[in-house]
Amino acid sequence: MQIQKDKYTRMLHAIAYVVILGLSVACLLPFLLIISASLTSNESIIRDGYHLIPGQFSLEGYKTVFIFPDEVLRAYTVTIVTTVVGTALGLFFMTMSGYVLARKDFKYRNTFSFYIYFTTLFGGGLVPWYIMITKYLGLLDSYAVLVLPGLMTPFLIILMKNFVKSAVPEELFDSGKMDGAGDFRIYWQIVLKLSMPGIATVGLFLALYYWNDWFTSSLFINDTHKYQLQFYLYNVINSAQFIAQMGAGTGVSLATEVPAESTKMAMAIVVNGPILFLYPFVQRYFVKGLTIGAVKG
Amino acid sequence: MQMNKLRGKSSSILLMSVLSLALLAGCGGNSNSANKENAAVKESNNGGDTAQSNNTGTEEKTGLDTSKKVELQFYMLGDAPKDLSSIESQINKMAEEDLNATVKFNYTTWTDWDQKYKLLLSSGQSIDLIFTADWTQYQAYAKKGAFLAIDDLLPKAAPALQQFVPQDMWEAVKIDGKIYTVPATYKEYVTNGFVWREDLRKKYNLPQPTDLASYEAYMEGIKKNEPKMSPASFNSDVRGNLHDVYTTLNAMVGSPLPYGIGIKYSDPAKAYLYWGSEEHKEELLTMRRWQEKGLISKNVLNVKDTIQAPIIAGKAASIFGDNPTRFNDTLMKVKAAHPDWELGYYPYGKTIGYATPVHPIHNGFAIPKGSKNPERALAFYEKMVLDKRYNQLTQYGVEGKNYKIDANGYYELIGDASTNGFTREGMNGWAWRNPEFMIFDKSYDGVKEIFADLDKIQKPDIFTGFAEDYTSYQAEKAALEQVEKQYLYPLQAGLVEDVDAGLVTFMEKAKQAGLEKIQAEYIKQWDAYAQEKGL
Repeated sequence: MQIQKDKYTRMLHAIAYVVILGLSVACLLPFLLIISASLTSNESIIRDGYHLIPGQFSLEGYKTVFIFPDEVLRAYTVTIVTTVVGTALGLFFMTMSGYVLARKDFKYRNTFSFYIYFTTLFGGGLVPWYIMITKYLGLLDSYAVLVLPGLMTPFLIILMKNFVKSAVPEELFDSGKMDGAGDFRIYWQIVLKLSMPGIATVGLFLALYYWNDWFTSSLFINDTHKYQLQFYLYNVINSAQFIAQMGAGTGVSLATEVPAESTKMAMAIVVNGPILFLYPFVQRYFVKGLTIGAVKG
Repeated sequence: MQMNKLRGKSSSILLMSVLSLALLAGCGGNSNSANKENAAVKESNNGGDTAQSNNTGTEEKTGLDTSKKVELQFYMLGDAPKDLSSIESQINKMAEEDLNATVKFNYTTWTDWDQKYKLLLSSGQSIDLIFTADWTQYQAYAKKGAFLAIDDLLPKAAPALQQFVPQDMWEAVKIDGKIYTVPATYKEYVTNGFVWREDLRKKYNLPQPTDLASYEAYMEGIKKNEPKMSPASFNSDVRGNLHDVYTTLNAMVGSPLPYGIGIKYSDPAKAYLYWGSEEHKEELLTMRRWQEKGLISKNVLNVKDTIQAPIIAGKAASIFGDNPTRFNDTLMKVKAAHPDWELGYYPYGKTIGYATPVHPIHNGFAIPKGSKNPERALAFYEKMVLDKRYNQLTQYGVEGKNYKIDANGYYELIGDASTNGFTREGMNGWAWRNPEFMIFDKSYDGVKEIFADLDKIQKPDIFTGFAEDYTSYQAEKAALEQVEKQYLYPLQAGLVEDVDAGLVTFMEKAKQAGLEKIQAEYIKQWDAYAQEKGL
């Protein structure tokens, strides 16, 4: 005989399903709207607005985005490379510092923690940052500038440190030492293996940061060949906004074509596609990594 | 216990040391940059000296020391054309021969260009040439000392350029008696004018827009006959495409005028308070009436499109005000997409009886303070303007590859804008246009016609030479901008039902933000300027 679920549990389930269904629809709708708009002809968007089902089907938007496949592909490559390199390097540095800061026998760990923590509270601001990078580090127009600033994010280091602290029992360090492992070996073979969820979480954060980063390109890159994808597309779209803002008084006429609505939407899809696929793969680590990391101490 | 106390102490010491370190670092940074600046100034002085001694040593040929090879940093606004690198290398080949210099063309892109422009000028980066215009706040930056005064450099480094630009233009760009920018000499008008669908006007026998009343009648006619169409195209920048246009139509000088100041062309010495006046109320009531009649859309504050796009798509039937060049662009696009449509244009100049060609400040190039080679930069810029090879290469690209000249001497793009790597004026080189070397597209004849019309009624621009100095009311200015966005924009778009009450609220909030102080200071500065220029 099957155990009958009691009435309240069933009701609860029903409500929960309805709520979740509603929320997912609310999340999906805008996305569907973008997909549909990217497939609608531009004139139809301007005249009738956005619809869930394309009024006049057209692939014009995608054609425009890929009219210079070499440029889009180059921007894609820059973004992929910076994301991969940045995430790998960043993870290495952050797990390393997390591990070091988590070890109780590290004499200056409080000092260092404080220095790292301090930067989350006080920053120099935009102009000093700009001067620092352009004048003193000389990184203007280099690929390095796209990777370096994100490598040591204080918040992620703190997250990592707390994660290592809670996931790796302190006794393991001692026992590893007794068995003849050096500090680096303990880090590489024990700490890293045990903090997989934390690494996945921080890794996803980092990957998202690098993938979505347009600001660094915007500030420090003049060479169009080194634009990241986000900035490349954002910039194309912005030309339209620029004319909209400048009003009639300037007489600036742009030689390049201003992208149409459907093109903007197609761009959004092109940019977001790949990173959407990343999420399901790391998601299972995500909850664990975040909750454990959230307990500060 | 003991331990805890100790720890508390040590951490507080640590905190203090870090804070004081931060303080020290802040000061250090300052003094450092100040030193740098001094050094840079010294360097440039030295450079000047050696150039002079060389000059007397050799002969009076160029007056320029070109013995050391330099790379010039050239900054433009907007996006770089795709073929830039090949153009750059061709220019460099010539420049190396002529001036022993190479140049790097840099672009800010239109994304956050104003912020980047500010960073470029405030970070003291070594930039040798940068674009200036009234809309990039040339006057304010010049006042703040961001640019190098080139009065003494000109005769030495670019004598031909000094000759080429008329004396009165040099006079017009002066800020506090010094020249900070090289103005462009091409004369154009960016004054507004009505744009409308002529085919629809004929079809429904509507009046031709020539002033505010006839324009309103035209819009109403469209509203009645084409209910699915917007009578006019407006976007969220209501200040730009409603207020500024409206005041221009009322013969206001230099609109956009900031801070609710009013200055009439007929009596420029008398600046008055426009906000809150009967005249202002009339503007807002007009907009309210348009809103009530459905001539302005209800969600106008959310529209982010360009004003032109709905015209081309056939969604809107007119533009309140656009300049001749952009009208021509729109016309070309409409013709291409819908050959049976017609567009009409009526410049405001004819309505108000005069039109002002752009002020020399509107397009120019300056040498920022951080430049390491101001002389070579100026000499190079002279080449850009006066050497036909440099000029046409950077304005139109490579003949035969990017463009060709047809039998009648018109410019013709090869291919279309998306396949060609260098469209007409693709480097955004509005500032180094040289009227003698310019080649025009066939379609530009329409613009020239309008310009010729306006030439007959031209009067000088008396406003743009004015350099506002807002250092004393910077905080109030920022506060006022917020208030304007929140309380004035809806009024300007006619979205507030009770105009009187809305205006009272706005004035109250504006006064709280420090409006009176700003206005008093602004008018004081304007009066001084008017007196100096004898207006």
